[in-house]
Amino acid sequence: MNRERFIRDRRNDWREFETLVSRMKNSRQSKWGNRDVATLSRLYRSICYDLSLVQSREWGARLEQYLNDLVAQGHNCLYRSPPQSVRAVWDFFAVGFPRLLRRRYKPFFLALALFLIPLIASVWVGYTRPDLAELIAGRETIEHALKSYENELYVEGDSRYSSERTRMFGHYINNNTSIAFQAFAMGVLVGIGTCYVLISNGIIIGILKGAILAKGNPTADNFFSFIISHGSFELTAIVIAGAGGLVLAQGILMPGQRTRGDSLKFHGVEALQLALGAGGMLFVAAMLEGYFSPLPIASSIKYVVGSMLWLLVVVYLTMSGRERITHES
Amino acid sequence: MNENHKRKVDTRVVVETPEGVDFQFVIAGPGTRAWAWLIDNLLKLGILAGVGILLSAVGVFADSSENFVAGIMSIIGFVMNWFYGSLFESWMNGQTPGKKSAGLRVVRTNGTPIDVTSAIGRNFLRTADMLPFCYTVGLISMLMTRRMQRLGDLVFDTMVIDERREWISRTGGLTANIEPLLRSECPRRFSVPERTLAVIERLFESDRIISDARREEIARPLSEALRKRLGYQDPAPDPRNPHTYFRTQGFRHTQFILRVLKTFADDPSGSKGNSKNSGTLMDRTTKKKERSERDSSYEENRQLAGLSSGEPGRES
Repeated sequence: MNRERFIRDRRNDWREFETLVSRMKNSRQSKWGNRDVATLSRLYRSICYDLSLVQSREWGARLEQYLNDLVAQGHNCLYRSPPQSVRAVWDFFAVGFPRLLRRRYKPFFLALALFLIPLIASVWVGYTRPDLAELIAGRETIEHALKSYENELYVEGDSRYSSERTRMFGHYINNNTSIAFQAFAMGVLVGIGTCYVLISNGIIIGILKGAILAKGNPTADNFFSFIISHGSFELTAIVIAGAGGLVLAQGILMPGQRTRGDSLKFHGVEALQLALGAGGMLFVAAMLEGYFSPLPIASSIKYVVGSMLWLLVVVYLTMSGRERITHES
Repeated sequence: MNENHKRKVDTRVVVETPEGVDFQFVIAGPGTRAWAWLIDNLLKLGILAGVGILLSAVGVFADSSENFVAGIMSIIGFVMNWFYGSLFESWMNGQTPGKKSAGLRVVRTNGTPIDVTSAIGRNFLRTADMLPFCYTVGLISMLMTRRMQRLGDLVFDTMVIDERREWISRTGGLTANIEPLLRSECPRRFSVPERTLAVIERLFESDRIISDARREEIARPLSEALRKRLGYQDPAPDPRNPHTYFRTQGFRHTQFILRVLKTFADDPSGSKGNSKNSGTLMDRTTKKKERSERDSSYEENRQLAGLSSGEPGRES
């Protein structure tokens, strides 16, 4: 077969493929006709064969480039990532995420330690050594925190409350989730950034808690009744995102039997899933913090609800997605 | 040795499809990506400003306070910050508006389209790539990897490809300083068959180790046949400056076939026997740049592959 015969024989197929691809590119995948898909894949395979023939016989760069373009178009048409559904999101939060966290309990507890130990230590510092606390957190920050919790946040019927909560909700989403995602992303720098985010947040939160504890009751009561509800989701989520960062770091530092690059890819997906799960939890936390925590109700109710929410978080993370395992096996 | 030989400094990456065919991608460099990034950021700012103005305008009528606007704005800001790239990349098959305008696309390293997880992941890791300023970490990572991947690309197994395919100008740097043939220099015909051009190309392929003198020797019969076909005569030496004439005489066949290559391979309209030539070459190249570059080169190849751009099935 010479080049001219080849082109003459094959060109109708190429034309058909061109028109088919240009038509299918413009319509949604779900609306493609059965016959079109079958024709497309048949033509695509034959054009792949043509391309390799032209490549091996060196029948000119232009012809090769033309077929290469056809193959690229067909490839883009045929190979797509599977569509994501709402169902997949639900499955992830109901089953995938808690399961993943339980499998990755080691980085989780490491992140927890990195967050909790500085926190406890600085609570003690804030409680007993106000001078040192001021040195660490800054006088203004502490005074601002003390002042904002001196009184009840909002009294009933306060017009401030209804207008401010949406702003605060947006602020919490932006601020807290950014911190969590940063804690995850910094993990790629061998975990140093993650450790920094966890420890520094632990210290600041701890110092403030200590200072407020030292201040004594109306302030402390206002503060703790405020934070107990959303703290369940918020603090846990920050630690989980940090765990995601540590998983990334593990991918670099401890590749095991894989090459470092492969290990990074392997761990990267799971680390990201942890961070996204944490993002979902932070969304819940921001809802609570914006719309429930500042409600002008008795602090005892907040304590009860807050404790239940903590229980809920623990149950969710330890239990959810378990029954399916027994069902499947 | 063979392995070493293949390791060229090149921005092309060969991907093998499941059908067993290799095809090439051109990797996008930091400059193009920075440009796309800039456009994306301007767009982000534009969206934020637009939504802000819209919300406050609505807020005036709906009597909702500025707090509400501030809340919505910080949520939108958050989404822009963390999900702008991934939303567009999963929706527009690996392109953000900025990438689209720069002709870039994110694909997985095996050439398949990017999935949602990778899109989210590679954009999350931007935070680390941006450190300590101006994407220094990302730039270092790009310089150190063959596919020019920043950390986010490395972890989530993606690469950014340049779809403009400028390298398609098949002769590349080969004919950079070569004068194209003028129509008036070729009284007989003004076309060269594609196969001949392919032969010339192969003679100059970079992995062919031929000395210049030997190449001249090989080029001679080809050059003579082409001269006969085109009716080309070497110009007489310029009496005012004969030196240049005699200096180029040594490689005149190589020079000539390079000129042929330049004329008929770089400029597609030349090979179709159009009368206009070198005088408008510059214009045409710039015009070509203005048009969608990919389409034009595709169309060219299509024509030169023996397919006229007429309606299908006409000559069958």
